[in-house]
Amino acid sequence: MAANSDFQERNAKGEPGSSLHGVTGREPVFQMTMETVGEKEATDLKGRKFALPVDSEHKAKTVRLYSVAAPHMRTFHLSWIAFMICFFSTFAAPPLMPVIRDNLGLTKVDIGNAGIASVAGAVVSRLLMGTICDLVGPRYGCAILMMITAPAIFCMPLVSTPVGFILVRFFIGFCLATFVSCQFWMSSMFNSKIVGIANGTAAGWGNMGGGIVQLVMPLVFDIIRRDIGSEKFTAWRIAFFVPGVLQVMMGLLVLTLGQDLPDGNYAELKREGEKVNDSFQKVFLYAVTNYRTYIFALTYGYCFGVELTVDNIIAEYFYDRFDLNLQTAGIIASTFGLMNLFSRPLGGVLSDVVAARWGMRGRLWNLWIIQTVGGVLCIVLGLTGQLGPAIAVMLIFSFFVQAACGATFGVIPFISRRSLGIISGATGAGGNIGAVTTQGIFFMSSKYTTEDGIMLMGIMIVACTLPVIFVHFPQWGSMFCPPSKATEEDYYISEWSKEEQSNGLHHASMKFAENSKSERGRQSSPRSKEETVVVDGV
Amino acid sequence: MVSRAQIGLALALGLLALVSTAEGGVLFSNLTRTLAVEATIQSTNSTTGVAHVGSDHLVVSWALNSSLADSGLDAKYVNVNIKLCYAPVSQTDRGWRKTNNDLHKDKTCGKGIGSQKYVPGGNTTNWRITKDVPGAIYFVRVYAVDADGVQLGFGQTTNAAKSSNLIEILPISGRHASIDVASAIFSVFSVGSLISFLGVEAIRSKKAANARAGK
Repeated sequence: MAANSDFQERNAKGEPGSSLHGVTGREPVFQMTMETVGEKEATDLKGRKFALPVDSEHKAKTVRLYSVAAPHMRTFHLSWIAFMICFFSTFAAPPLMPVIRDNLGLTKVDIGNAGIASVAGAVVSRLLMGTICDLVGPRYGCAILMMITAPAIFCMPLVSTPVGFILVRFFIGFCLATFVSCQFWMSSMFNSKIVGIANGTAAGWGNMGGGIVQLVMPLVFDIIRRDIGSEKFTAWRIAFFVPGVLQVMMGLLVLTLGQDLPDGNYAELKREGEKVNDSFQKVFLYAVTNYRTYIFALTYGYCFGVELTVDNIIAEYFYDRFDLNLQTAGIIASTFGLMNLFSRPLGGVLSDVVAARWGMRGRLWNLWIIQTVGGVLCIVLGLTGQLGPAIAVMLIFSFFVQAACGATFGVIPFISRRSLGIISGATGAGGNIGAVTTQGIFFMSSKYTTEDGIMLMGIMIVACTLPVIFVHFPQWGSMFCPPSKATEEDYYISEWSKEEQSNGLHHASMKFAENSKSERGRQSSPRSKEETVVVDGV
Repeated sequence: MVSRAQIGLALALGLLALVSTAEGGVLFSNLTRTLAVEATIQSTNSTTGVAHVGSDHLVVSWALNSSLADSGLDAKYVNVNIKLCYAPVSQTDRGWRKTNNDLHKDKTCGKGIGSQKYVPGGNTTNWRITKDVPGAIYFVRVYAVDADGVQLGFGQTTNAAKSSNLIEILPISGRHASIDVASAIFSVFSVGSLISFLGVEAIRSKKAANARAGK
C-alpha cells in the first residue's frame, strides 16, 4: 500500500520516467499499462481475477444476487440455502403437531418441553461453532454440522414416546448453529460497507426456512396420505425424510463447492503462510472481556429468540384459538417466517444506509428503535382477538422483529476483528437462550394462556432492548455519547499484544480498521480527504 | 411490500368471513338425555374393555329411552350422529380436547363413528376402529339432530361425570420396519460420506504439503 501511494504522489508531481501516459500520471488505473503504474488488479492466491470489485482484504464491495460467481456470490448462495435447510429441519415438527400429539399422546407440557429442546441445543452448538469457524473455517464447520445432525432427523420417524420426541428435537436443533458459520462467512467475504445487507439477506433468507416448512410439511403429509395411502400416523414419519435428505445433499454441496475466504480455503492458506493459526485462548479472552458481547447476546435473544419462539407456537396458536384446519393454520403461520424474505435484509440495509450518514451511532439508534417497535406490536398481537386483525398485526410484528435481527448483525462485525467467530457465536447463542427462556416462562404451563404469553413476551422485548443504550465505541461513540479521540486502529490493535504485533500478526486487523473508517458517517474534515488517497483504489 | 400486506389482509378477511358463519352454538347443558346407548367391543383378543385399532370393532346400539316412548320429545329428530369422545383423564393438560358447553367450540367428541336415520326403535352400527384414532380412554355419545344438523338430544355410554363404563383404545405406533431400515441407511450414508470426504481432503492436503516441501 505504501508503494502505491508513493507512486501516485510521484506521478502527480510529474517526475520524469514515472508514467507512460503523460505529465501527471493520474489516469485511471484500469487501462492497459497497469504494471507500469504499479497497481495490480486484485487476484486470489492462484492468480485468478475476482468477478466482483474487491477491497484490500479481497472482500467484495457489492452484492449481486443473481450471480453465482466464485467465491463471493457462490458462498453467499451456499450459505443461506444451507442455513435455510437447517431451519426447515428444526421446525419441521410444529406444523404437524396436531397429528404428532395424537400419535405420541403428548400433553401441553411435553410439547412445550420439545419446543424448548429444539432451540436449546443450539445454545451450545452456536458457541462452539464460533470457535470452530475461527479455527478450521466456516466451510468445514457448516458441512460437518449439517451431516452430523442429519441422522437425528432420520431418527424422528422412529420416535414413539414423548421423551423420544423431546430428545430428537433437541439433537436436530443443534444444526441451527449454521447461522454462525453463515454470518462468519458473509463477514469474511463482504466489505464492511455492505456487510449489513449481505448478513441480513443471507440470514433472512435462511430464517425463511421456518416459514417455508409450515407450508411444505402439511403439503408433503397430505400427498403421502392421499397418494401413497399411508395412515396419518405413518405419513408424518415418512414426511420427515424430506428435511433429512435435503440436509445431507446441502452438506455435500457445501463441502464440494464452498470456500472459506476470498483467497482460498483455510488449509491451503495456512500452507501458503497466508493464514495465521490463531490461539484459541486469546480469541476466547478477547471475546469474553468485551462487554458488548454480552449486551448484544441479550438483545438478540429478544429479537431472534422471539422469532424462534413464534415459529414454534404460531401454527398451534392459530389452529386452536381461531379453530382453523391444519393446512390453513400452516399457511398463516408460514407468512410469519416468509416475511424474512425482505424484512431481515431490509434491517441490514437500513443499518448500512443509516451508517453512511451517521456512522455507528446511527446503527445503534436504528437497532433500538426497530426492536422496541417490534416489542410494542407483540403486545398488541396478544391483545388481538379477531382473526383478520391478528394476521395483520402478526405480519407487521414479524417485519420489525426480523429487521431487528438484521440490524444487530450490521453492528456485530465491528465489535472485534480477532474474535469475530466467537462473538457471532455468542450472539447467536444468546438468541437461542432468549427463545428457551421465553418459552419456559410464558408458554409451558397452563398459568398463562397463549395470548397472554404473547403479550407478556412483548413487554419483555421492550425491557431487554434498553441495554443497547450502553454500547459505546471509543472511536465512534454510542447512542447518547460522542466519540473520543481514539481511532479505529487503536481499537482493533488493542486485541493484539506487543509481541504479537512485532510478529506482524495484526496486519489483517489493520486492513480491517482501515476499511471500517466508514463507520464514522459522513464527515467534512480534511483528514478524510487525505485518507481517500492512500486507500487501495480498486 | 405494501401489496404483500394487502394480499395478506384480504386473505385474512376472507378466512374470517368463512369462520364467521358459525352462529351462537347450541349449549350442551340444554340438551335432554333421551337416548340409551350401549357400546361393546368386538375383539379378537380376550382383554375386556380394551380395543385395538384396525382389528377390533365397536358395536354401538342406540334407541330412544323406553320411559320416554310416547313423550313426543323425539318429534323433531331426523338423524343421529354417533361420536367417539374423550374421557376426562385423556383431556387433562391437553387444551385441544377441551370440553366446552357451547357445542360449536366443544372438542370433546373428535371422531365421528357414523350417522343414521332416527327411528324410535333404535338401530345398531358396527364400526371398525380406524387407524387414525389416538390412544386414549373414550366413551360413545350419540347426538339426535334435526334436519339442519342442530343437536336436540343425546345419549352416552357413560354417566354424567364421564367416569363409568369407559373404553380404552390402543393405537398403532405408525412405525414400520421399512421406515426403520431406510432411516438407518440414510444416517449411515450421511456420516459415511462426510468422513470419506474429509479423509480425501486430508490426504490431498498432505500430498500438496509434501510436494511443497520437496520443491
